[in-house]
Amino acid sequence: MEKFRILEIKESVFEDNNVQADLLRAELKEQKTFLLNVMSSPGAGKTTTLKKTVNALKDQLNIGVMEADIDSDVDAATMAETGVRVIQLHTGGMCHLDADMTRQGLEGMGMENLDLVILENVGNLVCPAEFDTGAAKNAMILSVPEGDDKPLKYPLMFSICDVLLINKIDVLPYFNFDMEACIERVKKLSPNIKIIPICAQTGEGMEEWYEWLHTETKKWNEK
Amino acid sequence: MHELGVLIHVVEQVSEVAAENQVESIAKLVLQVGELCSMIPKYMEKVYPAAIEGTILEGSELEIERIVAQGKCRQCGHVFGLIEAKGACPSCSDRQFDILQGREFIIKEIVCQ
Repeated sequence: MEKFRILEIKESVFEDNNVQADLLRAELKEQKTFLLNVMSSPGAGKTTTLKKTVNALKDQLNIGVMEADIDSDVDAATMAETGVRVIQLHTGGMCHLDADMTRQGLEGMGMENLDLVILENVGNLVCPAEFDTGAAKNAMILSVPEGDDKPLKYPLMFSICDVLLINKIDVLPYFNFDMEACIERVKKLSPNIKIIPICAQTGEGMEEWYEWLHTETKKWNEK
Repeated sequence: MHELGVLIHVVEQVSEVAAENQVESIAKLVLQVGELCSMIPKYMEKVYPAAIEGTILEGSELEIERIVAQGKCRQCGHVFGLIEAKGACPSCSDRQFDILQGREFIIKEIVCQ
């Protein structure tokens, strides 16, 4: 019988993806396309928030949307009503998107002449935080019914985000959600994060969010 | 589910290395997993057979080496085990620290033919 040998690999698993993500980010910079990666739990209001966002900004920016889900195309169908370029990505059981899948999605959709591409990641607070998609900025939506303790439970997600939308603030009176404590917990994990309380349904706070996104897109595409 | 997705990624990475090195069969895969990494060894072992099905790793054994989470206190410089101390410096009880190790998730080696 042949002898077994030991083959040293010494490769970090997330490193391979990080390299791909940096490469994609550099290409997007070159093409002047701002990629926003949006993450949240299922039901936090990603699709509603993003649909309103696209409608508010589509006259000023050329926008594309990538909807990532394990299955179905309900989100893409909803988003298509806005009239912008939309593609549905199926992760085939995977709970997150990595840089390679993001690239495939961008190529499938066609990246030409897009100022802003919004990636709606799989609804999940664990795995998407581990995998850099190559996005220029990461956004997270946390909704009031989920509770103010989420930053304590999913620290990595909050520490990698550039902007946090706290959604469904219209129901604050009915929930035991301590806004001040929540903000303090998030700031501890990510001191420079921009936090915007919103209600996508009523439009409250949304102007500030549109402005942030518009400014960041312009900044990225100018330099 | 998270573990399965990430392990599929690992299997792809190992398969590439195996092909480059003309490996014919793999008896064991050794991973190093930090205590602060979100990958839970118990779950990884459970989903491993599903992740390796139909690949060069099929039938191989999975070995996981734990890397202890270590932090250095920003206040007094003491180095301590983060999990054991629950994030507070055992020397001065401050809670501000820099992580020295424990986030790793590394494919260490394969035992192969």
